[in-house]
Amino acid sequence: MKKLLLVLVLALAVLAAGCGGDDGTDATGTTAATNGGADTGAGGSVDCEGAIGIMAPITGDAGAIGTEQLNWAKFAVSRFNEEHGTTFRLEEGDTQLDPAQASTVAQRFTSNNAILAVVGPAGSQEVEAVAPAFTRANMGFVSGSATRTSLTNGDNPTFHRVVPNDDAQAPTIANHILENLDPQTVVVIDDQTSYSRPLADGIQQTLEDGDVTVRRESVNQKQTDFSALVSRIPNDANVVVLPWQIAANAQIFGQQMREQGKDATIFGSDGLFSPDDFRIDGALVSSFAPDIRNIEESQELAEAFQAEHGDFGTFGPPTYAATEVVMTAMRNVCESGEELTREAVAEAIGEVSISESILGGELAFDDNGDPEGAEFYIFRVEDGEYTLVTE
Amino acid sequence: MDEHRKEPTPPQPPDTTREGGPRIGVDEWVARSGERITRRAGWTAPAAEAFERVPPWARLALVVALAACVPFVSDSEYVVRVAVNTVLFGLLALGLNVVVGYAGLLDLGYVAFYGFGAYAYAILSSNQFDLHWPTELTIPVVVVASALLGLLLGLPSRRLLGDYLAIVTLFFAQIFVVLTTNADRINVPFVDGPVDFTGGPNGIAGVDPMSFFGIELSRVEHYLWFSLVVFTVVIVGLHLLNESRTGRAWRALREDPLAAELMSMPVNRLKLLAFMFGAAVAGLTGTIFASVQLGVFPQNFDLPLLITLYAMVILGGAGSLPGVVLGAAVITISLELLRDPGNARLLFYGAIVLGLLAFMRPWTKLAVVAAGTVVFGFVAYFVVDAVHPAWTAGSIDGGGLGGLLDGWVIHPESSVRLGNGAFVLLVAAVIALSQLKGRWRLALTIPTLYLAAVVWENRLVFEPSVTRILLLGALLIMLMNARPQGLMGTSRVEIV
Amino acid sequence: MDFFVQQLVNGLTLGSVYALIALGYSMVYGILKLLNFAHGDVYMMGAFAGYGVLIALGGPYDLTLPVVAVIALMFLAAMLASGALGVVIERFAYRPLRNAPRIAPLISALGVAFFLQSSALLLFGADFRSYDTYEYVDLAQGIHVGPLNISVVRLLVIGTSFALMIALTLLVSRTRLGKAMRATAFDREAAAMQGIDVDRVIMATFFIGSVLAGAAGVMVGLVFYKVYFLMGFLAGLKGFTAAVVGGIGSIPGAMLGGLAIGFGEAFITGYVSSTFQDFFVFAILIVILLVRPSGLLGRADIQKV
Repeated sequence: MKKLLLVLVLALAVLAAGCGGDDGTDATGTTAATNGGADTGAGGSVDCEGAIGIMAPITGDAGAIGTEQLNWAKFAVSRFNEEHGTTFRLEEGDTQLDPAQASTVAQRFTSNNAILAVVGPAGSQEVEAVAPAFTRANMGFVSGSATRTSLTNGDNPTFHRVVPNDDAQAPTIANHILENLDPQTVVVIDDQTSYSRPLADGIQQTLEDGDVTVRRESVNQKQTDFSALVSRIPNDANVVVLPWQIAANAQIFGQQMREQGKDATIFGSDGLFSPDDFRIDGALVSSFAPDIRNIEESQELAEAFQAEHGDFGTFGPPTYAATEVVMTAMRNVCESGEELTREAVAEAIGEVSISESILGGELAFDDNGDPEGAEFYIFRVEDGEYTLVTE
Repeated sequence: MDEHRKEPTPPQPPDTTREGGPRIGVDEWVARSGERITRRAGWTAPAAEAFERVPPWARLALVVALAACVPFVSDSEYVVRVAVNTVLFGLLALGLNVVVGYAGLLDLGYVAFYGFGAYAYAILSSNQFDLHWPTELTIPVVVVASALLGLLLGLPSRRLLGDYLAIVTLFFAQIFVVLTTNADRINVPFVDGPVDFTGGPNGIAGVDPMSFFGIELSRVEHYLWFSLVVFTVVIVGLHLLNESRTGRAWRALREDPLAAELMSMPVNRLKLLAFMFGAAVAGLTGTIFASVQLGVFPQNFDLPLLITLYAMVILGGAGSLPGVVLGAAVITISLELLRDPGNARLLFYGAIVLGLLAFMRPWTKLAVVAAGTVVFGFVAYFVVDAVHPAWTAGSIDGGGLGGLLDGWVIHPESSVRLGNGAFVLLVAAVIALSQLKGRWRLALTIPTLYLAAVVWENRLVFEPSVTRILLLGALLIMLMNARPQGLMGTSRVEIV
Repeated sequence: MDFFVQQLVNGLTLGSVYALIALGYSMVYGILKLLNFAHGDVYMMGAFAGYGVLIALGGPYDLTLPVVAVIALMFLAAMLASGALGVVIERFAYRPLRNAPRIAPLISALGVAFFLQSSALLLFGADFRSYDTYEYVDLAQGIHVGPLNISVVRLLVIGTSFALMIALTLLVSRTRLGKAMRATAFDREAAAMQGIDVDRVIMATFFIGSVLAGAAGVMVGLVFYKVYFLMGFLAGLKGFTAAVVGGIGSIPGAMLGGLAIGFGEAFITGYVSSTFQDFFVFAILIVILLVRPSGLLGRADIQKV
């Protein structure tokens, strides 16, 4: 009887929480109307408040990526609020990189009238899953890491991204290989994710168009041991392309290559850009932005972040940029005197232009939602440092 | 001298109704006889008895009607979506119940059928191969195909028992994930160029919504009602199945496979039937899922989903239809509720308070503990404030409750390290609590409660995504300890 | 030929780690008929414990003690920490469910697994930690005979695993505790009637199984560098698979199963396909189980009528 009571107690607690919980950030949305009302129309010139949703894989397999994105978003919000006197806040939504969870979280955000725009989601397949809901709700969303080219083909009018898409990166990598590395056989290994596959396909295509033999492999990132795969690398291969997302795995791969005496050059995509995790001497890594630690204007930001949250890799700064874009858009709407609604913010996002973005240079969007002037930079790893390879 | 010459008392039959007494019996009907005989005591008795008197079909109708009203109660699309998720999980739990609960087969590959149903629907109703079959045709085809797949996967069950079957079914599930992730460049003979079957890691997006005889299911509410209809049909069907000869045969198979075989039951056929039914239900649910999400992706059908599903089924009580649905509802809803830190805080403190109410039986004990905790908190706060003011410099926000706690819980500005240390200490304290008895236990409860509040305010409330999994784990452990047969399961009986 | 030998080495390294984890599963299953899902997370905690010791002794770059001492301390810390954790888990989550239907401790184990994973995420963060073995061990040392390239770390891993496995076999077959364990696994009630303290035997089983898991954690860190909160999930799965394929409840079976899976993965990736590696490995394992339904070395449970 006592045990059944415990069970009933827990069930009641669940129900009570569902009915009673409204501390202002009400997920059920029944009282959100008042929240929305209180927030909208309050936008004066400086007095701007609202909530920004952030969708990231905070737990689960990609937890390292999502946590970094979340921390940078928090960092962005606190700095922006401090600088501009606004009172924006974040609502986090953990998707575990699962599109099903992403679409549920998306609906949670759209039902919460306080949320005016969303940063994320991280994965391209997640963007596909949430796009219908966000389009219907006129919710602008800006991703810092979804690179699938087809996402900005016009089907998702409220979607923007601060990173260039695969169509830009694949040729950059492939052409650099063709021009500078004298490739005999190139091994391209994708990591079976929606980020990596299209990128690897593109690189393979360009290389083959340049008459290079390409050997294509594919490996699951849940593994710990890549030695067997490393053994498969033919001895005459002098370049190994790793468009992976987890830099630590690439580090293992590179070390195991050294162990087995394979000295091919590793070429990584922007997912590997992580000076703390990937440090194979002589490797090349591409990035859509110069390392923010090397951008003078961004150094202070990098140091401030490191003091507060520790090291970071490649996924954090773009999320900072995305959050900054959203907040700038919201502030612009406030300053123009317009009512702070989702439609207004979504439109304003498209017109945002940040002159000194953390990613270096100006950040603005073209009509499709891609960042303008997107370019890729190639870095070489030497003694644990990333140095820009100037053409 | 009387003590030495007392008449020996005649041996009493074992008391099967007393909790913890020896449990002797041969099947669940006997095992539950105690429940039937005992008059319920306590303040929940009238409610429980009234509930029992309502016939099952009325209970089902009531639940379904309530669920169908959700879109009218709340105009939030999110709530309706969570309701749809709950119904879908309920359906999956029902199907798994057939395999695990009725037939007693540990099937760890169940989500592969779910995924198969979803992908099959997606392939037949999207731009992948430019097929746009009408839904009235797709659903039966997919259900039949899933059943056939279930038959295929059930074939190893003829030779493999128990955990070996579990492993083989697990392999099938993993094979499914590998195939769907990588079947985007298959070279088919006689066809030019590689064929993209499943979209690879990108999945298949742009799946058609369902439409029946011209009516398209375009809004989430429509899906809720449709899935409730499907749910009702399935649960009635499974109930009838359970009451039939096949159901009884399954129960016999579950309780003692060898005896069942000796009684000339077609054990192999029964196992295959169980697999087929489970697979058919999962495939059906998959089609609904694919059209709700308007896409299918390999990540949807991986192991974490299987684990969550098993937790639901076992929590609710394998073998009991309403139980597994309840389990599905409890877990889905709590996980969603816990996304919101405000809710989570209320739930956390509420659960602690209600748990105390339940377990501290004489109210004097409860009063002592409650008062002791409050006093301890203030004393601790005062002491820490005097010694290390920095440690109480932070503040707790979050509405009324937070303000109350501000002067009570130790809370430095940057609370990560304190929170971590307190967390480890809390786990140790809870473990120690479970091993102590009597006064020591009472004494230790007070600082433990305070420590729980400290950990919550300093660490857990800032990480809602991690906290909800933490709480789910703790919930599972506690619930299994409190009630091993699940919320509504039958107490299984061991043959002595 | 050199390719074959290389894959042999790869498979041996991987297989011995899987074998260690599988042993824990098999031992616990043999005694309690319980699949301890939390075992993988005990392994993860062991790996983190080793990492903690490494950092405390100067981190990968600046060791304050000689390398051998550091590695020995890492092993010791990890093994003790994991062993203690295993014992605590048993007392807290499984002992109350000793007489419950089989599936209840299974879910309790699941709860423990969730709890441990999220605790690790909370306490250590989501970042990957790296043992960075190459910073303090010269990987060029080792055996480099012709096509064979075994670094000194892999030698250490393979050697230690086999030493532990031999020690375990000796423990189980020669000592009184081992006899008690075998008796309890065979028939718990009869063993209790013979005066064996079943609770202590079970505690010892969990301790030993967890110690092996902790050692495996450090080994994985040393050879594959990467340590993170989710590593226990997949390793536990592979270990569980290895235990079942080898015949669950059988100690030599677990070792054989682990090696089988290790070799399977290495050779299939090497010779067949890396993309569909999992697919083929699972297909082969299915065939093995269909041919020998009780696993490679398992005994079919004699069913008493």
